[in-house]
Parts: sequence; structure tokens; C-alpha cells
Amino acid sequence: MTDMTDDDVRGEVRAWLADNVDPALGRAEWSRKVFDAGWSAPSWEPAWGGRGLSSAQSRLVAAEFANVGAYGTGADRADMLSCTVRDLGTEEQKHRLIPPSVRGETRWCLLYSEPGAGSDLAGLRTRADRDGDDWIINGQKVWTSFAKTADYGLLVARTDWDVPKHKGIGFFIFPMRQPGVEIRPIHQITGESEFNEVFITDARVPHANLVGEPGGGWAVLQLALAYERRLMGDLARTAKSTRDLKPDADSLIGMARAAGVLGDAHIRQEIARAESLATVNRWNTQRAKTTTDRTEAATLMALGKIAMSRILHETARIQTEIVGPESMLTGSDNPVGDAVTFRTLNAYFTSIGGGTDQIQRNIVGERVLGLPKEPEPYRDSAFRDLPH
Amino acid sequence: MSSVLTDQQNDLRDAISDLMAKRSPEAQVRRLMADDSGHDTAAWAELAAMGLLGLTIPEEFGGAGAGATELAVVSEQMGRVLLCAPYLSTAVLTPYLLLALGDPAECAEALPRIAAGELLATVAFAEAGSARPPERCVTSAVADGDQWTLTGEKTYVLDATIANRFYVQAHCDSGTALFAVERGAPGLSVAPLTTVDQTRKQGRLTLADTPARLIGGVGKGAAALDSALDQSAVALIAEQAGGAMHAMQMAADYAGVRHQFGRAIGSFQAVKHLCVDMLLEAESASSAARHVAAAFDACEPDRLADLALAQAYCSDAFVFVAATNIQVHGGIGFTWEHPAHLYLRRARTDAQIFGDSNWHRERYVRLREDNS
Repeated sequence: MTDMTDDDVRGEVRAWLADNVDPALGRAEWSRKVFDAGWSAPSWEPAWGGRGLSSAQSRLVAAEFANVGAYGTGADRADMLSCTVRDLGTEEQKHRLIPPSVRGETRWCLLYSEPGAGSDLAGLRTRADRDGDDWIINGQKVWTSFAKTADYGLLVARTDWDVPKHKGIGFFIFPMRQPGVEIRPIHQITGESEFNEVFITDARVPHANLVGEPGGGWAVLQLALAYERRLMGDLARTAKSTRDLKPDADSLIGMARAAGVLGDAHIRQEIARAESLATVNRWNTQRAKTTTDRTEAATLMALGKIAMSRILHETARIQTEIVGPESMLTGSDNPVGDAVTFRTLNAYFTSIGGGTDQIQRNIVGERVLGLPKEPEPYRDSAFRDLPH
Repeated sequence: MSSVLTDQQNDLRDAISDLMAKRSPEAQVRRLMADDSGHDTAAWAELAAMGLLGLTIPEEFGGAGAGATELAVVSEQMGRVLLCAPYLSTAVLTPYLLLALGDPAECAEALPRIAAGELLATVAFAEAGSARPPERCVTSAVADGDQWTLTGEKTYVLDATIANRFYVQAHCDSGTALFAVERGAPGLSVAPLTTVDQTRKQGRLTLADTPARLIGGVGKGAAALDSALDQSAVALIAEQAGGAMHAMQMAADYAGVRHQFGRAIGSFQAVKHLCVDMLLEAESASSAARHVAAAFDACEPDRLADLALAQAYCSDAFVFVAATNIQVHGGIGFTWEHPAHLYLRRARTDAQIFGDSNWHRERYVRLREDNS
């Protein structure tokens, strides 16, 4: 790490942006400039587009870029492929894969979940079979965003069926643009399609793209997931994305007034109940951010997801009560009912996505309260012998 | 505004925590529950010596002049152990009321004695039907020259049987006012109420032409009382948060050691998830209590709406956690000897004494409505 102060960093990035921002530059040219200047991944080494700043300073750089509407920084927090390869890849993998990814010349997606492996991700059944210098992949992945535009998929697949489930998984940087990779959008209950299914049939990935050992993918995945959680935490802390999640404090009162039910004693109680959930969660987040006690902060952050699920489901439920029969209607000619139904259904995005609330309660119960895990009867059994 | 504690406030918390461990172990709580006074004079003297009885009393009246945040820190620790003492009535509600009434003579006479532990005082406002101050106060005050007399009935009066002085809300021709009535005054009778929560004693006052002194002016009483109840609620919700934290920890500890089917019951998701839900409620109550205390110290414009929301939330959270704690304990939690039910009794009382959750939620919407 360098010994630049925060003010040094701010000053330097501002000056650089002032000298270099040029709307006439193409995307590739701009990205290369940012990379060469060490702003792509400020907390990394120069070889990977960085300049050895602290991660807090990397956020300062991101803020300065955002102020002038420039893109191309923050790969040290947002580029899951490079984060993972930089930590656990070989020198050859780092040189080949990181620079183009950091510069945005190659794009990645995540190939983790499967129809049969959701909460129990280690139960995945996508096969990886060694064939000379390649591995042949067969299986199905789900909940993949940006699959159509990705060059690589961060893929976990089973390399060994004769060892316990966590020990027979490989982590691959899988080329997406090849025969045998079929991408189909998933139609969500909200009517949107943000995710895809990826069907993989006899597709190939070079052995040179295996990160870690053939049976060591679970540990690589844990690292990749930790980076993903850090990114999600970053996004949740920025005002822009929380605005989507946090129901506007006055919206329930405004909605009830518009629907002519603000005088209803029951509705008033329900409004206050829903708003108390959102408000108290905000106070929890404030306490987590300001406390110097790390255990206290970790406890509160771990509870945030469960709290947010409840806020979203409860707010949607009360909105349904407020609009009454309008909740039967949808479409652009029924904006009130349409919005309420969308919120009702989209609340599951939070209570299921990224680990269900039930799994999250297990994690909090075990890590925060220190309660024992469920016994795992198949802990030492070969994966092939597991019932499914 | 910050809801983070300073080092000094953390030291205060640790000191109170030690004191509570010494002065209010379960055996002592049970002894005082069975005692009519519900109050240990030696512990009270120690609270006075530590400056806790005058915590929020201004220095000019012999107190420490501390803010809402310090009060919340102290109250949270008291709530954890179900301290049996007239703290809320004498050391919190009464001083806030006298200061809000702005009667310098009464402040100078009463507050230093409260801080020193020499005067036990309480406030009598509720009448049958509501634990909040009545919308139409039936207890009446009649003046004969400078001498007032009160007639009526007050109920849900905290620590009534041990108070030396009562500040009684009454109605006269020109509005509502607060009057001081001394223990033993003619026409005053004090009867204990049989309470579900024996750690907080309550009583009923009957006044028949009872001589009383007017405190502050006529017409100022209702607003001063509301303000004092709001400031005191900061202490109440912190007690609720402390009680909820303790009950949650009881459940988590027990679920980690109690074995059935050859495994700790906390390894069953049905039990584990209950414990996590309790953790969420207890931590949220704690955040709410601290936020509101900081908001009062900073005189935030939204503090009353925040308090209304927090008071409803903390009441429901403490009741939920205390009730779920019994469920997690199973059979042993159904016994009188186990302390789990003491927390539910306290939680159910705390959820009523300054108005129930529905009342506070309605207040919240009213405040928000006026602002939008």
C-alpha cells in the first residue's frame, strides 16, 4: 500500500479526470487509459490496473469518478472474476484473464445455482469430466444474470462423485461463446426477465481455466461469494440502490389518502406498523455503521436481510389492504393495482434470492447466537450415494 | 446527532451493570416482589450515592444534569434485571414533570431531596379506563382563597403505596393543573392494586376534599404532563429493550444446552429460527431506544413521531421476546420458579403504563399526517 493520504488521492484523481475525460473517446480507449493510470482497480497492483491504495481510498476514487459521470473504476470491488483469479489463480491465469476483464473487454456471469441445488449449493450435479487438456461440462445452471453478454461464466461443477459433496467440486472460468451453451430467459412471477437458465451440453473448458485444484472448488467459491456479499453490502449502503428497496416513508399515508381510507382506524394501525419496521431497520443500519464494536455491527448487518424481507412483504400486504379491489387488476391501465401486485410478488426477490430467509436464519442462529448446526448424516458419504 | 455511546457513557453502563448484578439478582427481585413496599432502601441509598437518582435533575437542583442518552443507558441495565425500585416514578417522571411545570419553588424544594434519596414521589394522572392522562379529567380541584382541595380517584399510580408525595392531575374551572398532595393528607386514601407484574407496584388514590398545593400555573398541567411522559418514555423504552435483550439471551443460552433427541434443541431449525426472530426484535428495540434518546438530546424535529413509533415497537418487541422465551424453554418455562414469566409480566405491564401500542401508532400517523 502506498502512503498517499486521502486528500492526495482525491486531488490526484480529480486532476487526472480533469485532464483526461474526453467525450469523444470510445469505450475501449477510455478503459485502457483508466487501466494504465491505475484507476481501474485502485487498491490492486499496477499490473492489474491499480496503484496500491487502501480499499477505503478505492471508494474515494469511485466517488470522484461518479461526480463527473465517468465509468471504468471499481473493478477491485465489482469484478468477481478478477477478484477471485487475483487471489487464487496461477500467474498465467492472472496475466491472461485479469487485464481484459478489468478493462471491460471481457464480461463474466455466474454459473452457481442449479434446479436441484439452491439452498444446498454443494449438492450441484453439473458434471466436469476430464478429457486431455480440457474438461467436458454437462448440466444446467439457473438464476444467471447477463448470461447473453458474458464471455466467461464462473462455473462450479462436479469433478469427483466418489468423495463427500464439498470435496468433489471444481471452479472453472468457463467460455460462454461456444456450441453446447444454450441460454433461455427465466420468466419471473413479476413478468420481468432479469435471469437466465443456462443449458450446457458437451461444452469444453480448458484445464488451464481451472482455478485451484480439481476438488478444491468449494473453497474458491466461498471466496468468490464473500466478494459478492461485499459488493452487495456496498450497493445496499449507497443511496441510489436503497431508494429502490426502502419504501418511501410517506407513501403509505399518501396512498391511503388517495384511496380515501386514511380515516380507517385499522388502516392507520397497519400503516404505522409497516413504517415502524422500515424505520427501525434504518436505525439498526445507522447503529451498525457508527458503532466501534465489530460484533455489534456484524450482528446488525446479518439481521438486515431478514428485516428487509419482512419490510417488503408487510408493506406490500398493507398496500393491498389500502387499494382493496384494485389489487385484482394489473397492466398499464390499472397503475395502482399493478404497482401493488408487483411489490407483492417482487418481495420474494429479497426473501428467496441470495439465500432464503430460512437459510439466513440458520446462519444468524449459528454464527451470531452460537447455536449448534443441524446434524449432517451424509457429511462423510460419497456424493454418488446421497439420496436425491 | 449520534446514537453511538461515548467512552464515558460506556463506563456508566458498565458501572450500572455491576451495580445491578450486585443489587438486583433474581433472589432479590423475588424477595421484593413478595414485599409490599417492593423496594430496598439500602439499594436506593446506593443509587443516590452514585448520583443516579438525580441523573436528569439539573445541577442547580442537586442533580447531574445528564441527558436522555445517559438515562437510556441506565434504564436499559435496570430493565435487564427487572430492578424493583421506584426509579421511573420518583427519579424520572417526577423531575421531568416539575421542570416542565416550571415552578422554581417546588423544584428547589423537591428535586434536591429526590436526588439525595430522601423523597419518594410519584405522579397520579390516569383515571379508570386509560393509562394515559384522561381526555376529560374527572378529578376536580376547588380553590378557597389560596387553599385548594381535590376530590376524585386516580389509578395505575406507580409506587403509590411508598410515595411520600403525589403530584395529582386535576381539573378546575379554568383548566387542568398539577397539585402536590402529601402522604397522610386528610381525605386521601391509598390502596395497593394487585398487579400482574409484582416488580412494579401500583396503587389507587381516593381523594375527598383533600388539601393540595397548586404547582405551576392553572392551564399548564396537561402540556407539562404530556411532555414529562414523552421524556420519561425514553427511559421506559430503554428498559423494554434491556428486558428484551436479556430474555432473548436466556432463550439462546438455554437452546444451546438443553438436549432432546440426542441433540441441543437449538440445532432444530424450528427453535433456532425463533431465537433469531427474538434477536431481531431485541436488537431493533435497542436501536430504537438509543435513536430516540439521541433524538431527544438533539431536539430533533421528528422526535415525537420517532418516539411514538419506537414506543409501539419496543412494547410489542418486548412482549414477543418475553413470550417466545417461555415457549423456547418448554415445560420449565411454565413453572413459577423459572424467571421467564417475570419478563413476560413486566413486558405486558410496560406495554400499557404509558399507553398501549395502538395508542402510540395512532399518535404516529396523526403526527405524520399533520406534516404531509
